[in-house]
Amino acid sequence: MNNGFWTVVGFTAKNKLRGKAFLVTTIIIAVIMSIGINLPYIISQFSGEGKPTAVGYLDSAADKAQSQLFTSTRIVSLLDAYYEAQEKPELKFVPIADAGSADANEQALKQAVSDDLVDGYIGFAPDPESGFPAVTYKSESLMETKVSQSLSTALQAVKMEAVIDSGGISDELKAVLTKPIKLDTVQISTGEGAGSIGNGKSSEQQGMDMATVYVIIFMLFMAIMISGQMIASEITAEKSSRVMEILITSVAPLKAMFGKILGMFLVVLAQLAAYIVVIVVNMTLPQNADTLSGYGISLDLIDPALLVYAILFFLTGFFLFATLFAAVGSIVSRTEDLGQAVLPITMLSLAGFYICIFSGLNSPGSMLIKVSSFIPFFSPYAMVVRLGLSDPPLWQVWLSIAILLASILACGWLSAKIYRAGVLMYGKKPSMKELFKAMRAYR
Amino acid sequence: MNALSLEQVFKQYGANTAVNGISFEVGQGEIYGLLGANGAGKTTTMRMVLGLIYPDSGKIRYGGKAYSKELLQGLGYLPEERGLYPKVKVSDQILYLAQLRGMSRKDADANLRRWLDRFGVPEYYGKKVEELSKGNQQKIQFIAAVIHHPRIVIMDEAFSGLDPVNVELLKSTVKELRDGGSSILFSTHRMEHVEELCRNITILHKSNPVLQGNLKAIKKQFPRERVVLATDGDVSGLEALGGVTGVTRHEYGYELMIADEAAGRPILELAMTQTNVTRFEIMEPTLNEIFIKTVGENHE
Repeated sequence: MNNGFWTVVGFTAKNKLRGKAFLVTTIIIAVIMSIGINLPYIISQFSGEGKPTAVGYLDSAADKAQSQLFTSTRIVSLLDAYYEAQEKPELKFVPIADAGSADANEQALKQAVSDDLVDGYIGFAPDPESGFPAVTYKSESLMETKVSQSLSTALQAVKMEAVIDSGGISDELKAVLTKPIKLDTVQISTGEGAGSIGNGKSSEQQGMDMATVYVIIFMLFMAIMISGQMIASEITAEKSSRVMEILITSVAPLKAMFGKILGMFLVVLAQLAAYIVVIVVNMTLPQNADTLSGYGISLDLIDPALLVYAILFFLTGFFLFATLFAAVGSIVSRTEDLGQAVLPITMLSLAGFYICIFSGLNSPGSMLIKVSSFIPFFSPYAMVVRLGLSDPPLWQVWLSIAILLASILACGWLSAKIYRAGVLMYGKKPSMKELFKAMRAYR
Repeated sequence: MNALSLEQVFKQYGANTAVNGISFEVGQGEIYGLLGANGAGKTTTMRMVLGLIYPDSGKIRYGGKAYSKELLQGLGYLPEERGLYPKVKVSDQILYLAQLRGMSRKDADANLRRWLDRFGVPEYYGKKVEELSKGNQQKIQFIAAVIHHPRIVIMDEAFSGLDPVNVELLKSTVKELRDGGSSILFSTHRMEHVEELCRNITILHKSNPVLQGNLKAIKKQFPRERVVLATDGDVSGLEALGGVTGVTRHEYGYELMIADEAAGRPILELAMTQTNVTRFEIMEPTLNEIFIKTVGENHE
């Protein structure tokens, strides 16, 4: 007699997948995702990151004649050499001819900026105390941090090199001196934790865990909200079009409800699978893989154990919320009233989501997250955060799953009763008392 | 063994009694009429038969057996209001509903095509329900109720919203179902349909079954007190005859109310002395009259 159940599942899934609205939404979201992943690459193509920023300087003959260690022309030529050694020069230097007087020079430099010859210009003023001229970078932008940071690093390097050169230090020592210090942060596990942490993860892997956790709880949230609304509104629609009366004279109400939930689950699964394919394909495209790995994002860094747990919590979380949405859908008679009726469930889901986004991602070990990871409606989010970003003991993870499964059974039972009573109640939204009475009538 | 029997079935909603102790039996191959004004308890009775709601007390038996989930597949239901998915294709939803009632998809498809041909609308197979007119939706609804050869069919206001041609079409299919051995529980406001289709009836009034039994027997209980007289010319002095309580002139002649059947003969004799009589009949009471009488009396 499982016939009826699978018939409901098939009908629900097929109708939804065939619907134009569903297809269009899926395609639009897939396109937005593709754009999002390609965005870093696209930006790098347009922002002219390949092209160096032009910086003007005064090419003064008087300065050239001086034989000091740091004349402006010498500094600029050293900077030029520094930037040319880079793979992609960030800056290039454009000489502006000396116009004679200080005022005329300033005028000429400003003219160069307004003519778009240069983006800005540097000036040098003697600074006897430090032995290196004070440098000013002038541009039309308010805070050219990118240029000024680059310049400051370059100047420091140039200064050091010039000093070292004049001091006669060996190349070997010079190499030791210029080599950057290496500092790695590695997370360790102190117990037999179930989390993905503990195997000595690099900071890149940790960053990727963070991103994965974020993506997972976001997807869970979206799947619950979208499919929950769909389940509720389909049931309400069946009720308001009175198909319900025919439906539950053909098939047991329990089958009708869980068939609907499972059917919708398959739809969500198909949709998520499509999104995941879009994400993976886009991330592995050669140009994106390069650009993204520049930001430390790579699919290889995702922990498979985290994914398995994420799927487990995704499944339990989905079914827990789905049964509630089904119950609410069966109480309401008109689709117009549905938005208000599902609000409490929406809030519940939202609360769990926000706890994790605002508290969990920053401090996954906090008491709030620990407690939340055992509360049925929050745990699908909270435990995934703990698993991804800290190291919860294994028994806690399974306890959380057990609590979830128990609440699915409880909610499923309660929802089935509400559904059985609710589908035949028409007119205004029934009060708690009326609902309770109707529920007792159907044992 | 009766296909369907109800025994002292009660249903209360809060303080209101919806059905107050109804009992009746529907034989195999019989159409049973359930009559009553709006809110008399017809739909509640039908819903109890369908197992949508449970009676507070009393028994409902199906071929001698109590209600069970397996019985669902042998039931067909035509609800009063449309119960179809507006945005789903006719074929998809009828096959879905038929499969839920245990038919194979192939059989259901063959049946659906046959029914659509029978109703002269084979082109609706791939159309969405919302694209069809109300009358045609009712045809689809009808197919949904009977596609799986149900043993018991429950029809709530089956012919509402249909034009006369389609009423005749559905009426003849209902008769075919009856002749095929299905038992049909039928409710309507239209008394002429009941007279044509039903063998036995129950009239419900304010939750109470007030009149019940074989239609012909019921009619016999009510006195024949209406005379139709069709004549070529005028007849005078009808009012003065003994036993005549009222005379109404129509285009074809006269309609007279009489106190008892014995008053008939003097009317015919008087008319024949004055003009040609083309028709004279002491009429059986119509179900409509019986209904109004029964329900009206109970209004006090």
